[in-house]
Amino acid sequence: MLYYIFKRLLLMIPTLLGVAVLIFLLLRVVPGDVVEARYLTQGSQFQSQNLMDLERKKLGLDQPMWKQFTGWMGGVLRLDFGLSMWTGAPITEEIKLRFALSLQLAIMATVVATLLAIPLGIIAAIKQDTWVDYAVRVFSIAGLAIPSFWLGILMILAMLIIFKWLPPMVYTPFWINPWDNLAQLIWPALAVGYRYSAVATRMMRSAMLEVLREDYIRTARAKGLWLKLILVRHAMKNAMLPVITVVGLEFAFLMSGLVVTEQVFNLNGLGLLFVEAISHRDYTLTQALVLIAASVFIFVNFATDIAYAWLDPRIRYR
Amino acid sequence: MAVTKESLDDLARSAKPRARWLQAVLDFTWQRPIGALGAFIILFMSLVALGANWLAPFDALTTDYAAMLSGPDGKHWLGTDAYGRDVMSRIIYGSRTALIVGIGASFIGATLGALIGVASAYFGGRIDMVVQRIMDVVISFPLIILALAVVAILGTGVFNVILAIAVPMIPRCARVVRSSALSVREMPYVDAARAAGFRDSRIVLRHMLPNVMAPYLIMLTAFLGQAILLEASLSFLGLGVQEPVAAWGLMLRGAAVEFAETAPWMAIFPGLAITLAVFGFNLFGDSLRDALDPRLRTQ
Repeated sequence: MLYYIFKRLLLMIPTLLGVAVLIFLLLRVVPGDVVEARYLTQGSQFQSQNLMDLERKKLGLDQPMWKQFTGWMGGVLRLDFGLSMWTGAPITEEIKLRFALSLQLAIMATVVATLLAIPLGIIAAIKQDTWVDYAVRVFSIAGLAIPSFWLGILMILAMLIIFKWLPPMVYTPFWINPWDNLAQLIWPALAVGYRYSAVATRMMRSAMLEVLREDYIRTARAKGLWLKLILVRHAMKNAMLPVITVVGLEFAFLMSGLVVTEQVFNLNGLGLLFVEAISHRDYTLTQALVLIAASVFIFVNFATDIAYAWLDPRIRYR
Repeated sequence: MAVTKESLDDLARSAKPRARWLQAVLDFTWQRPIGALGAFIILFMSLVALGANWLAPFDALTTDYAAMLSGPDGKHWLGTDAYGRDVMSRIIYGSRTALIVGIGASFIGATLGALIGVASAYFGGRIDMVVQRIMDVVISFPLIILALAVVAILGTGVFNVILAIAVPMIPRCARVVRSSALSVREMPYVDAARAAGFRDSRIVLRHMLPNVMAPYLIMLTAFLGQAILLEASLSFLGLGVQEPVAAWGLMLRGAAVEFAETAPWMAIFPGLAITLAVFGFNLFGDSLRDALDPRLRTQ
């Protein structure tokens, strides 16, 4: 097991390096750079070529590509992402608060998704082929079809019209005022979490159906064990395995959902920062964000696999 | 995900004359009413897209500043937007954009993915390993981030959006198809083809590709709904289809949010259209997957 974990950790390095190379090259293929983006937004298109070259030199854009790349990688290894080309501020500073927001939102959405998926999946499985089952299935399929940003718009609309109330628009860190913080973030978390729960609900249902047909469930029932105890202790525990995998795999969708939902709820998170960075052609910031997103994704996948092996001793990795 | 006997029968049946084909459709409807409902929604949407010129009460681009932000009434059934454009007409024309982008992106993404997957499985060894590592790298980009990056490179517009959505789908399809193709490679007929001295490209395209049709079709239909959703998201972010083209995601952008309180129809109806379309494609895709690959049924 330890060997397996070690091997998987090592395998992450080439993948991340590949991600770094790919985004580095992609960005440099994009027409226009940060200097052009800045002068075009300032409306003075007639900037002298000299001045623009000077600006590029300051940002190190005149150096050969390999030098730029090794310079960037060297910084990353020391966890120093450099300065944003657009604002000139250290990227670590730019990202810090927004990362806290996006991470909190991601965790809350995952919690919402799990809290929806597990009970709904179990109920649907117990009441298979009844109207309860159909209702749950329609609810979860609809979750996949409804765009989370539209759901967000509808939520805001409903709160405005029915309660004449809007969630706070300014982000307060949880440790300063937990109430304001939750009042703002619970809505996007619900919008994203609902969509996120759809696949997990279906997985929970089918896993429960499979487990309920197992011999040990029949044995437990024959013993006259209390039904609730059978469901929780015997069935749910075993049905959770594939659900955990799905929750891990769907994490990618969660991140995509966040990019768009942050826009709707006016949240100054990583998603919004990413959209801005790309339109500013802010190479350093975009690179850092993509690398972080990919690392999170790869790490969650890894953690999912490990959790899977840990929870099910029958699985042995080599 | 081997090609099963049932799926071969299905394919064979669909190739027979019309009466048999009709029978297959009826069977599908009878056995999978939910899938048939999905197919019905898709059919409805396609007809709307094809007949947009006749169905839409107004032109999608005509502005009418006298009727700005007017609510649903006898003239504008679903109201008008901030430029006085008819919301219903824009939704009807928007179905064209959604279908073109959805089908185009899924077809390109799934087909390139299938080709890469089959070729990777066929050649095996070092080539297979390198291709798989590259696919791993591309997969670890979150879908929307890769799509955004591609849009940034190519620029916005319908065709570029199709490519931007297709690119992240390639590795996902390649993985699934490769795993089927690995078992196809061991089939005697592939050995026979190799012994007969056929070129690699011919074996891959003519002998192996047709035998991974089941996973290919499953991935293709699974992508359709996602592609429509992704297009809507990109357009909503302002990085997809551009004004004044009628697109559902675009209709939800800007004014729809700003005036949501006074003109909620602008925010509600385009979203409903997206939901219905994706719902239809998902229902159909799920049922098709069940029909083509019984082993996945429980999922």
